[in-house]
Parts: sequence; structure tokens; C-alpha cells
Amino acid sequence: MVKLTIDGKEMEFPEGTSLFDACEKARGEALPHFCYHPDLSVAGVCRLCQVEVEGMPKLTIACNTTIRPDMVVHTRSEKVTKAANQILEMHLINHPVDCPICDQAGECGLQDQYMAYGLYDSQVEMASKVNKAKAEVIGPHVVLDQERCVLCSRCVRFCDEITGTGELGIYNRGDRAELGTAPGTELDNNYSLNTVDICPVGALTSRDFRFKKRVWMLKAAESVCPGCATGCNVRVDHEAGRIYRLKPRYNPDVNGSWMCDMGRMTYKDVHQAGRLTEPRISGQTVRWTDLKERLAGLTTAAALKLVVGSPHQTLEELYLLKKLGEGRLCGGLAAADRGDGDDLLLDADRSPNRGGLRILDAAETDGAGLAAMIGQAAGTVLIHGGNPAADAAVAEALAAAGDVIYLGTAENETAAAAAVVLPVAMWAEKPGVFVNKDGRLQEFKQAVARQGNAREDWRLLAEILELRGQDVPGSLKGLREEMTASLELEVDLNRMPGSGFVPGGVNA
Amino acid sequence: MSPGDTKILSARFDRTDGHRLDVYEQDGGYKALRLALTGMKPAEVTAVVKESGLRGRGGAGFPTGVKWGFVPKDAEDVYFFVNADESEPGTFKDRYCLDYDPHMTLEGTIISCYAVGAKLAFIYIRGEFGWLIDRVQKAVDEAYAAGYLGRDILGSGFDLDVIVHKGAGAYICGEETGLINSVEGVKGQPKIKPPFPAVSGFLDKPTIVNNVESVAAVPWILNHGAAAYKAFGTEKSAGTKLWSVSGPVKNPGVYEVPLGIPFREFFNDYLGGMVDGEDLKAVIVGGSSVPVLPADEMMSCNLDYESLSSAGTMLGSGGMIIIPASCDMVELIQVLMHFYYDESCGQCTPCREGTGWLHRIVKKMRRGEGTTGDIDLLEHVCNGMAGLTICPLSDAAVMPMRSFIEKFRPEFEALIKETAPAGPQSRWPRGEQE
Repeated sequence: MVKLTIDGKEMEFPEGTSLFDACEKARGEALPHFCYHPDLSVAGVCRLCQVEVEGMPKLTIACNTTIRPDMVVHTRSEKVTKAANQILEMHLINHPVDCPICDQAGECGLQDQYMAYGLYDSQVEMASKVNKAKAEVIGPHVVLDQERCVLCSRCVRFCDEITGTGELGIYNRGDRAELGTAPGTELDNNYSLNTVDICPVGALTSRDFRFKKRVWMLKAAESVCPGCATGCNVRVDHEAGRIYRLKPRYNPDVNGSWMCDMGRMTYKDVHQAGRLTEPRISGQTVRWTDLKERLAGLTTAAALKLVVGSPHQTLEELYLLKKLGEGRLCGGLAAADRGDGDDLLLDADRSPNRGGLRILDAAETDGAGLAAMIGQAAGTVLIHGGNPAADAAVAEALAAAGDVIYLGTAENETAAAAAVVLPVAMWAEKPGVFVNKDGRLQEFKQAVARQGNAREDWRLLAEILELRGQDVPGSLKGLREEMTASLELEVDLNRMPGSGFVPGGVNA
Repeated sequence: MSPGDTKILSARFDRTDGHRLDVYEQDGGYKALRLALTGMKPAEVTAVVKESGLRGRGGAGFPTGVKWGFVPKDAEDVYFFVNADESEPGTFKDRYCLDYDPHMTLEGTIISCYAVGAKLAFIYIRGEFGWLIDRVQKAVDEAYAAGYLGRDILGSGFDLDVIVHKGAGAYICGEETGLINSVEGVKGQPKIKPPFPAVSGFLDKPTIVNNVESVAAVPWILNHGAAAYKAFGTEKSAGTKLWSVSGPVKNPGVYEVPLGIPFREFFNDYLGGMVDGEDLKAVIVGGSSVPVLPADEMMSCNLDYESLSSAGTMLGSGGMIIIPASCDMVELIQVLMHFYYDESCGQCTPCREGTGWLHRIVKKMRRGEGTTGDIDLLEHVCNGMAGLTICPLSDAAVMPMRSFIEKFRPEFEALIKETAPAGPQSRWPRGEQE
């Protein structure tokens, strides 16, 4: 441990700690900065995190300083404050101040730091500013505004150091310096939108999110990406029942500060056309109350012969499905939801909860296997989630089967094949737990309301069990308490560790 | 003392075919190399150079031997760079060394590499010096053929390769870490320090970067001893210095004089005073980046590190710019501000934005649109640039700017229109802030 004094406070940190991080702990807030990012190399170019170290003739930048024993550091002295003020002014002299039409407004490092360290009067005439290109499309997901760029090089370092794709560079010099891609190339990798997250200003914006919503209108829900088995921690930004974007939440054990572009687009499924919103029997829309009797008859222990889950359902839902199947639960099709993975975050398994299927010993099978199970069922078949009927053999078996109940979220082959279709919630419309590829249990919260008359999955399953006369906890908390005990989980499902650090803007 | 008395570096500038190896050898060339490689340990060479008091001639004036001592003792791969990216405005002394006596610098390079343990050296020459690159390459080829480069040099077991590298003409590549980046093939902009190049430079290995003039002095120092070198100059400014003088003096050019001689003597005896009809107004003594001194202040200075420093300027590279009374100082500073604006690499915000801002304000004043407060604003911008960046280019712009205002303020004031409206009223009354 190294002992040093920051702003009069004596503190201890492990050897090798960056002075920037030490100052952040001592102050309770980060030093002003644009270029520093904990997951990238030090560039030291924005020059904002200047601090005064006693015994050193000049101010020094904290991000490129390692703490030394007995250092005496001042972060709020007049000299430091004045330097931050003046350097901030330099950042802003050629800034277009087009905040009213800038998507970053409200979460912008220039705005926030101007309020904290600036508050000077502009001495630059608008007409004398350096003009650069605006709204350049530089890739499938990202738009660049050169005038807003503070050339912090975070995005360049991200592409060099994290993805290793190196699409971005800073061209030209002096105040003509510009961010850009090499001629004839574009910023096109599966992580390109992370550059938008780490851009501290409005230079890089998301083509998907651009001009959709002022950020201060958005509410955030802590969630987990449903796009693959990695389970990146995400924040669902939504307003009035609509999701506008997903942002990564910092979790050093899972995704660090990042998530992939594909994962970010999973929210679109929530708002896709063809969502199931009303229950129906044989194609006829019905009310839930009219359905109760039919459902009770079909799902008695004697009538219900086969229960099929999917790796898209939460751990709680899979647990109740297994109860419904009296200890037997088919996990669905093993070949479903597969794609190409990469070395960074994206997994070849494009479902979020195969880990949950493993915990519940719900074996997956192939199309022929599932078709055979359906063929032998001679009773009710209940399918929750997924779309097994996309497999021709399964579709054929379902057509020949007796009563098929499908709990689903969108129109598909399985919904078409089922006699009873029950609309349930998508991942963002309910709370739950997913188990990622490493067996890590991760909780996600509900972001938006369910659509139409869709039901919350676990409550619907609990109701079916109650119709059967089985006792089921009446709250999610009670259910999780029961599951923690009966599944002998190492984590208490009611006390799941979250992660509160949200990258994006100046706090990253 | 009169012109021509002191010849360490410039002794062979007038020699016919002095750039050829055979002529260099006839004149006693590569004797110092033989001395070092066959009779001295590397540490002994470093000790002699340290003892000689030789200071870096590129501009910063850091003691050369001390710099060599920063290379970690157990380092395996060490690289050596000769900085011939001579681009400080007003400076053209390294060009003379390489043009008229390239083997002097090459011999100094080989000895320096031996001292620091480098097996690969680069001579980085600015791209505009087209003919020099050929000349130096020829000298390197001759040295390989004669066994002064390559494997087992002079039977000592010491190996060295030298690569002549052509720059692309950026001022900032003369900054030692910008130069290293340039050779590494990445954008020519300074690296963040620490780590310093002597510990982690080229390819993250210990690297020493020395100016041509510093390296060129090494053979003489070994041949004659540290004491002989120290006999020239003052206590803190040992040896001789090449001055490259431009401006309307009778005899502009490159002069070698012992450090410490009075400027007045240098000006009168060597430069022959101003051309007829011109008076001396001011001098930028060490290349365009150092503060300007008016004639009277300059006349009381000696040409050494400490005298110039106490007068508020710097010896710098020795690029002496003589400014006549007919010169408009604001016009001159506009030229200089354009230079720094053009050459800022753009990575550090204060320099990237500040150099452009200074340039635009000066330009505006010279257009006749100067307003009350513009001089204060220039000073304000300087305050936001000085000492706050990775490399000294920002300071290099600030030093002339500040000194021009300080020493020649009336010329700036004359450009201000008294009728101009005052600046915008404060929208943030100070009382409302925390």
C-alpha cells in the first residue's frame, strides 16, 4: 500500500494505482477529463486532469501519474482550478454550440464540465470558428460530427486496443485535425457503437438513436442483454412504454464497459410487428376469464403429457415449467439460436439462458427427437417460448398432435400450429434471472409495460399450477426464496449483486 | 578575439572535398573512434563526455553525458537517434555539419552508440534536405566499406548499423519522441512522458536522441580530452557553439565561437554590424521559439546559457535572427504565429486550439480590426497554453508571443481601434457562482 495526501486527506492505495483513480476516490468525483478511460491506454491529450503535486515545478496530469509514497497532491487549488477553466475554454473555442440539435445534450462532457469548471464568458466570435464537416456517416451504426469532436482519441484507442480493427485515426494536424476512417473504409465492426458510448461529446452519435429522444426524458432499467449467452450487463433506456436504446453497464467480470452492436439492437424485437397481445383458442380471440376452464381441463396432471421450454425463458419460468411437467422438462431444440461468435463478447449461443436449462437438467434435443416426443405424447403439449415449429419435423408432429398450448411473444410457426395461444412478456417487459455461459446468475428488471393483454409469464404458470391445486408462492420474492433453497443455489435470488457503474458521457 | 580563432566543429567546413572519407582520414578522422573502441570502456566514454560539460545543442541544453547515463545498465536493446530534423526557424547549423563534414557527425555517432550500448542508430534528416540525405548516405556507405560500421568494428567486437531516415517535413518530428514515433511509422506527434525515451523509447526500448551538433563534438572531446573542451566557454556553458545568423547584418552565416563571448563583440567583430542604412532593433537569439530581446538588452548579454537565461531568453538552438529597425514587430509575430499554428501536431488541446487562436487574433489586428481587449486576450490565451502540454511546442509559441507584447507593446496598441465596441457583457455575474 502507498500512503499519500490528496486535498489534505491522507489515504492509502495499492501500489501502481493511477493518481487519477486515487483523486477520484479522495474527491468523491472524477477530475475533469475527456481522454482518460479506465479500460483504455492513457493518451494524456485533453490536459484537463491537471493537479498540483508538491515539489514539482509545473502542474501535472493525474492520468499519466502513478502514485508515489508521501506525495502531497492538490486538486482544488487556485492554480489547478484556473488551469482547468482555461483548458476547457480551449476545448470550446471551436465548438459549434449546437446543443439544441445535438443528441449528446444532457449527457455531454462539455456541458457538464462547463457548468462545473467553466462559467467564463466566451471571447470567441462565432464567425471566426473553424468549420468542419457535419453529419458524416462513417459506418452502418455511427455518424460523425467533426465540429463537436474534442479529439480525445478514445474511439481511436477503442478500435486499436479493444477490437483490434483500427478503423479510426486522427488525420491532419493543429486545429485542422480530424477524426476519420481511411479512404474507402468505414467504421464497421460488431462493437462500433461503443465508440458512441465513450465519446464524451456529441461527435459520434448512433444512427439508430439519433433524433429519437432527448436523453433527459429517458428512464433507465438495469437489465441483461438477451442477445447471446455472454449476458452483458445493460441499461434499458425507455420512455412511455418504448425502448430507445441499450447501453452497457460496467461489469468487470462479464463485459467490462462494452457490449456488441447486435446485442444493442435486440430491443427492436420488443416493438416488432406481429407481437402476440391477445389470448386465442383455435384462432378466435378470447378473454382470459373465458379461457380459464379450458386451460384447467387441458393442464391437469393426467392430461399434460409434454412440457417444452426454451433458453429464452427466465430461470423462474423454467423452474415452474418443470413443476408443471412433474419433474420433466424438455429444453427445446439444441440447434436453435446459434451463430458465429467472436473472441470479445459475442457468443455462438444466441440465447441468454441455456445456463438456466442446465441448472434445471432440461435436456435439449433435435427436431426428430422432439417430433417423436410429441408423437408419443397422446395428450396436451405445452410449449413456452422459442419456435420449435420452425423445424419441419416438429411442425408436422404438432399438426398431428392433440391439444397444443403455446406461450409466446410473437406470431410464428408454433403459434400458428397451436390450438391455444397465450401471449406473454418479452424480456424487457418482466423481471427475471438469466444464467450466462459461465454459470453466472444475473438479474434483470422490468423496463416497459407488457403489450395488450399479455401476461407476466411466471404468474400465468403459477395460475395454471394453482388450477391444478398445487401450492405456489404468490410473489416473485417468495418464488425466488423457494428456488434458492430447492435448487441449492449459491446465490440468494433475492439478493443478487448488481453493478451500478454506467459508462457513457463524462463519467466513463 | 576575432573570427576564425576557435575551430572545433567548423575546422573542416572550408576543406576541399572535406566530406570524403579519405580526406577526413588524412585530417586525422576516425582516430577518436579507434581510441574509444580499442582503449576505453563504454562507461569511460560516457564519463569523459559528462566531464566535458557538453550540453545538448538542439535547444534544451541538457547535459549530453548525463542523458546517456539514464539508459538502464542492464538494457539489452538500446537505440540511438541523431536528430538532423533541423527545422527551428532561424537555425541552419546542423546542415553545415552534415554538408561539409558528415564523417565528423558519423564518427561521433559511432562513439556515442558504443558509449550507450546501441547496435542500431538512425540519422533522421528532414525531408527538405534532399541533397544532404544523399551526402550522409554516401558517408555511411564509405564507413561500412572501410569497416567503421557493420560487424566487429576495428576488431573491437562492437557491432553497429546506421540507417539514414528521411523525414517528411514536420517541425514536430524534431521533438525527440515525435521523431521516434515518425520512425516507428505512426503519426509524428510526441509521446507522453513519462516514460522518457532513455528508459522506453523506440519500440519501447531505451533510446537516446541527440542533436547533430552535440554528437559532432564527441570525437574532438575524445581526441583532446574533457579538460581541453572545458577550457572553452564558461563554467556552466562549456565548449564552443555554432551560431547560424540571419537578418540584415553585413556577414550572415554560421559561426563557431566559445560560449560566453559578449554579444556586442560577436555582433561587431564577426557579423560586421548591420548593413548600411539599418539599425539593430531586436534579436531572437536561439531560434524562433525563444523570447525576443530588444537591442539594448541584447547588447549587455553574453552568448552562453546562463547569461541569456538571466536576461529572460534562452540560448536554444543558436538560430540567431537579427531584426532591423524597419521591421514591423506585429507582422513578424504574425509570421511566427502562423508557423506554430501550422506545425502544432494537434494532439494536446491547449496547443491545438491556442496556436490557431493566437494566429487569428494577430491576423485580425493586422487587418485593422483590432479591438480593445485584444492584447489582454492574447495574454489570456498564452496563459492557457504555457506549460500545460505534452511537448514544448505550445511554450515555443507562447514565448515569442508574450515577449513581443512585453517588449514592443506600443506597436500592438497602435493597431487597436479606439472606437471598437467593448466585448460582450458577462452573462454569469461572478456573485452567482459558488
